[in-house]
Amino acid sequence: MLHLSQTLFFIEIIIFATVIFMHLSKKSSSVVVLYALQSLSVTVLLLASALEEANLALLAVTILIFAAKVIVAPYFFLKLLKKNQLKFSVSSYLNTPLTLIVLTILTIMTHANFFKPIAVIAPANGSALLMAIAIILISIFLIINRRGALSQMIGILSLENAIVSFAFFAGLEQTPGLELGVTFDIITWIVIATVFVSMIHKQFGSLDVTSMKHLTE
Amino acid sequence: MTEALAQTCFVVLFFSFAVGAIGSLILRNNDRLADWWGNSFAILGSISGIIASISALAFGNTFSYTLPSSFSILSFSINFDYLAAFFSLVLSLISLFASIFALGYVKHFFGKYNIGSLGFFYNTFIAGVMLVFLSSNAIFFLIAWELMALTSYALVVYERHDEKNVKAGLLYFIMTHIGTAFIILLFLLLFKQVGSFDFAAIKAGLAGMSPALRTAVFIFALIGFGMKAGIIPLHIWLPSAHPAAPSHVSAILSGVMIKTGIYMLIRLFLDIMPGTSLWWGLAVLVIGSVSSLLGVLYALAEHDIKRLLAYHSIENIGIILLGLGSSLTFLALGFKSLAILGLTASLYHTLNHATFKALLFLGAGSVVSKTHTRNIEEYGGLIRFMPLTALFFLIGSMAISALPPFNGFFSEWMTFQSLFRGFQALNSMAQWIFVLAAGSLAFTGGLAAACFVKAFGATFLARPRSEEARHAHESEPSLLVGMGGLAILTLVFGFFAGPISSVLAKTAGSLGALKMAEAPMAASWNSVRFADGFASLSMPLVLGVLALSLAIVAFIVYLWAGGRKVRTCATWDCGTTLDSRMEITATGFSRSIVTIFNGILKSTKQQDIEYHDADMRYFSKENRFTLETRDIYKDYLYEPLHRSVLKISNFFKRVQTGNINVYILYIFLAIFILLIALV
Repeated sequence: MLHLSQTLFFIEIIIFATVIFMHLSKKSSSVVVLYALQSLSVTVLLLASALEEANLALLAVTILIFAAKVIVAPYFFLKLLKKNQLKFSVSSYLNTPLTLIVLTILTIMTHANFFKPIAVIAPANGSALLMAIAIILISIFLIINRRGALSQMIGILSLENAIVSFAFFAGLEQTPGLELGVTFDIITWIVIATVFVSMIHKQFGSLDVTSMKHLTE
Repeated sequence: MTEALAQTCFVVLFFSFAVGAIGSLILRNNDRLADWWGNSFAILGSISGIIASISALAFGNTFSYTLPSSFSILSFSINFDYLAAFFSLVLSLISLFASIFALGYVKHFFGKYNIGSLGFFYNTFIAGVMLVFLSSNAIFFLIAWELMALTSYALVVYERHDEKNVKAGLLYFIMTHIGTAFIILLFLLLFKQVGSFDFAAIKAGLAGMSPALRTAVFIFALIGFGMKAGIIPLHIWLPSAHPAAPSHVSAILSGVMIKTGIYMLIRLFLDIMPGTSLWWGLAVLVIGSVSSLLGVLYALAEHDIKRLLAYHSIENIGIILLGLGSSLTFLALGFKSLAILGLTASLYHTLNHATFKALLFLGAGSVVSKTHTRNIEEYGGLIRFMPLTALFFLIGSMAISALPPFNGFFSEWMTFQSLFRGFQALNSMAQWIFVLAAGSLAFTGGLAAACFVKAFGATFLARPRSEEARHAHESEPSLLVGMGGLAILTLVFGFFAGPISSVLAKTAGSLGALKMAEAPMAASWNSVRFADGFASLSMPLVLGVLALSLAIVAFIVYLWAGGRKVRTCATWDCGTTLDSRMEITATGFSRSIVTIFNGILKSTKQQDIEYHDADMRYFSKENRFTLETRDIYKDYLYEPLHRSVLKISNFFKRVQTGNINVYILYIFLAIFILLIALV
């Protein structure tokens, strides 16, 4: 049992590492691959839960999530990149050293005293819970820091993965029906967002959100 | 008359308005049929309302019932008590005659606007106002209030091809919703205190309410309901919105809808939330004095007949508030008996104002439908072409000017008695406010008479000043019946002042704050007499004396000139041609009074002279004089307020950069702060 717990924590560390690397990566395709890896890790967490509870419905949902997040979404994004010949993502607001400093501060803050009471939700997974919060905040920061629409979309999906992992370690898993609904939402969102990104690129010749400022007028 | 009959009438009332509204929409492609359908069912609903109200007021058939809803805070509670019955009666009477008038009046919209939608909004509006008077749950009340506001907005912008009407509607829409915001706030405060939105529960649970909270409720109510009543300076929507609506709607807007504000002030502070502070009553008195005086002054400077009448509504709301303010003051000092007197005066003037103001609006509508203008300067001599309209307008003018034997005279007399009693009974500061209020009422009465001499004289007397006026002719029978009915009511409500004031005193005495108190006056069918001999008045006697005086004068004239022959000959005219340009205009008539009050009215004068020879400039060809008043509330209150809001908005606009990253940063910071605060 202790072994499983350590394995799950290790998977959480992988999720954390993927979001850090998303910040550091400049290539759009790398960000998509990192997202696929992060989603795979989340799927493993859900698979562990399904096997532990011997719940077939949850297992089916896990397979569906795997298909949606690890195969369909990255496929859509990579196809989009290929179609629009985008090799590099647009720049971020903060440079790499500053970005790393902010990431460090966010991680330290989530492990500071005032976040400690969160660990009470599930004392056995206290460290994993705090790390999940760090992933949530860092994912939001990815959306804030990146100028490219694609990176922002990946940031939103990463945020969703972080919330799922938090729920998993907090013991807040929902019914398979709800999980299915959430997955369906995500697929729909990915399809719509991809279409929008294509249209934006066609209209503006770039996915840099700052170049779309005159849309506010 | 049984309670069952009253309740049946009550059901018929709402059924009629519903069928009238929906049927009008269904028949919208046939103007004539939609007009007939909408107004006939409005008439039927109004008659049912009259029967139900009289049954309650005269025979005590009051009732209440509650239909629960799926929301715990909302119940469709209806309380048809004396006060609700009285206001329902006022509404039903006015809507009855307005609907009869509308049967003919609406014809001039045929082919121009959709008659079906007019019928729909008209019926829904009357039903909405009725529900405001009957509802006994704050959420249900707010639904009814909003129904009334939205349908009245639709009626104000009904003649939408005129841009002015659309603008007036927008102003009304904004102002009424600002008022509603304050009303919601006050109900939330009461809910916080008692945990219920039901009026009965609020009434029962307010014992421990702190004075600060009571004061907040009073201020919110004064702003929220005062906005609807049109008290100065919250009135700016009223002179634009009321004239914009079709005239039969204006009659209900001015005659009844603004009274919903008065109704709720009475309901709140004399029934639901008794225990008023002295300064509340004095504040209402001051607001009443200012509103009545300024309302009539602005009316004097107006040339648009419907705007003039709308300003008189502000004046009369002021007079109603004088009665209500004195009642609140007496109540705060423990003089419950005198409080009944003040409230009776207030209710009586509510009834009277509804009657004569509706009559005047219908009269104005009759004139406007024939001359196609609202500008008094383009009327003149209409008494020859529209004699019955002139007679009805004259009756309305006499009533609003508080001339005996019409109803306005009695209610103002009663308001005076209430103010005089305050002067007699109170301490020095309050005493002076009563003196000033009485002075203001006297002044208002005089100015109102001057204003209606102008309005009647410029409209109906002398010679026509436009082609439209020259070709005007008397209105259709339905319009005359509508106006005639109200004209008769002004006389009836004046003649039977005794029994009516007795019913109104009973209504006042039924309210929570005034229960167990006795009215200070005894009323019989022909007189009202104060128990201590302070004053008494017999309206039949006044009518008799007036009739006798007229008969004596007629007799003397007959004796003196009866045998003489009537000679018709040309008047010496100094060699010039007498025409309508030589008449005194409405502007000329009011100029001297406007000049006296220039400090308040801030009038602007403009004189344009065209000469026969522009170089010599000796002989003027045309001399045009324009007198207008500046809207000081707009200049000194609403414009600065508007600028401040814009400035603040522009400051906060910086937050809205248009960059999605920044917006997400806001979300991030909000989540982060919440996490820190909540964990």
